[in-house]
Amino acid sequence: MELVFENWELLFKGAYYTLYIAVISMFFGLFIGVTVALARLKGNRPVRWAARVYVSVIRGTPALVQIVIVYYGLVDYGITLGPLTAACIALSINIGAYLSEAIRGAILSIPKGQTEAALATGMTSWQAMYRIVLPQAARVAIPPMGNTFIGMLKETSLVSFIAVPELLRSAQLLIARYYVNMPFYIGIAIMYWIMSTVFSAILEAVEKRLSKAY
Amino acid sequence: MTMIQTKKLSKAYHDNEVLKSIDLEVRQGEIVVLLGPSGSGKSTLLRCLNGLETLTKGAVEINGVRLEAGMKNRAFKTNLLQIRKQTGMVFQQFNLYPHKTALGNVIESLLIVKKMPRTQAEQLGMKMLERVGLADKRDAYPSKLSGGQQQRVAIARALAMEPDILLFDEPTSALDPELVGEVLDVMRMLARDEGMTMLVVTHEMSFARNVANRVLFMDEGVIVEEGEPESFFRQPKTERAQRFLNKINQH
Ligand SMILES: Nc1ncnc2c1ncn2[C@@H]1O[C@H](COP(=O)(O)OP(=O)(O)OP(=O)(O)O)[C@@H](O)[C@H]1O
Ligand SMILES: [Mg+2]
Repeated sequence: MELVFENWELLFKGAYYTLYIAVISMFFGLFIGVTVALARLKGNRPVRWAARVYVSVIRGTPALVQIVIVYYGLVDYGITLGPLTAACIALSINIGAYLSEAIRGAILSIPKGQTEAALATGMTSWQAMYRIVLPQAARVAIPPMGNTFIGMLKETSLVSFIAVPELLRSAQLLIARYYVNMPFYIGIAIMYWIMSTVFSAILEAVEKRLSKAY
Repeated sequence: MTMIQTKKLSKAYHDNEVLKSIDLEVRQGEIVVLLGPSGSGKSTLLRCLNGLETLTKGAVEINGVRLEAGMKNRAFKTNLLQIRKQTGMVFQQFNLYPHKTALGNVIESLLIVKKMPRTQAEQLGMKMLERVGLADKRDAYPSKLSGGQQQRVAIARALAMEPDILLFDEPTSALDPELVGEVLDVMRMLARDEGMTMLVVTHEMSFARNVANRVLFMDEGVIVEEGEPESFFRQPKTERAQRFLNKINQH
């Protein structure tokens, strides 16, 4: 176990990358999620269809496959991405699909009367969406989105496969150097666990606040 | 001057024809009460007037702006927005925005639709809240208001857009009996205001008798009978209206 502490710098760097990838992917995933949710609800037929296919494909294929497609697959078309960039792109696309489902569900949960009241006072349907429905849907969507984020935190370990020096990859590098497995694996497991727990606690606090608001 | 007019207006959901070739005319300043059994199409008619429902056949004309069944999308949208700016609607379930305060509800469309500066919008909004007697509730969220207060805020929200026409769809049906009065009082006050045209779906007979200029009785998607409130309630001409009134009076 001393080895773990001796190499804390490398492991913390790994944890930093893990968090970095998760946050960046969540950020862009949120954009994708909102766009896709709106496309499915308000787009014309081809747009709705495209959005559905996207969600279905992403949810129906392993994240690891999506990651290697972005990192290795695109090379065939002359698109060479750094591992970190590829990881963030792949995971943004991945998480966007899951977030879009949460957001779509949240939008659908807002009573139709809200939109009608907005329309009746002269708003366009987009104004009604942005000003009246989305703010309410956001509160509904925050708990499932938070859980998606925590899932994402763990999912980032997949990008060790394309040599992004995140947490799991750091452990693998250390293992290759010292020829011991368990302490490093246990060490990073604990680090993942701590990060998840911290974010769960934050989420819980946010949920508590949301539940008593208005 | 005619404010509301429908011409052979029909509305069908799939094969179910809910409104059957309705010809309706309401003049400026008229207070018209729309009565009829459940499912007769009262809400649908109201919602066709401000385009919350599409028309299957016929046309609606509000203050000279026309909506027609099968109208081109672009023209339809322009006219729709124009009509909605001239009409306010009050719903059975209030439909206040829960994430906004009373004042926030009232001024939302002033800010978004009329693009009014906030201070000016708030001034106007407060005036509207004063009219419905709720100036002191400006910062209260809807969840902290009684049903009657919520409905009055909803009325203030409709008034803020300074419409020529107000559509009420059973504004007191969701209220506890002791809260009905305060909402009806506000509606009476509006009816006294010159020029406001009101079309009200309600089962409040006292309101219909005392305030309305005219009563329309609807059944199965058709306006079966219309007349002055006094004569309609005393002596309905059609058997369907008689049956309806008997049923109501039993309660
Ligand atoms: N969105 C819809 N889809 C299908 N049918 C509908 C829809 N909305 C209303 N209807 C039908 O249209 C008919 C008229 O409904 P409407 O709500 O206009 O009646 P109403 O006179 O307002 O009744 P109530 O007094 O119960 O409010 C009913 O038979 C109803 O089932
Ligand atoms: Mg109704």
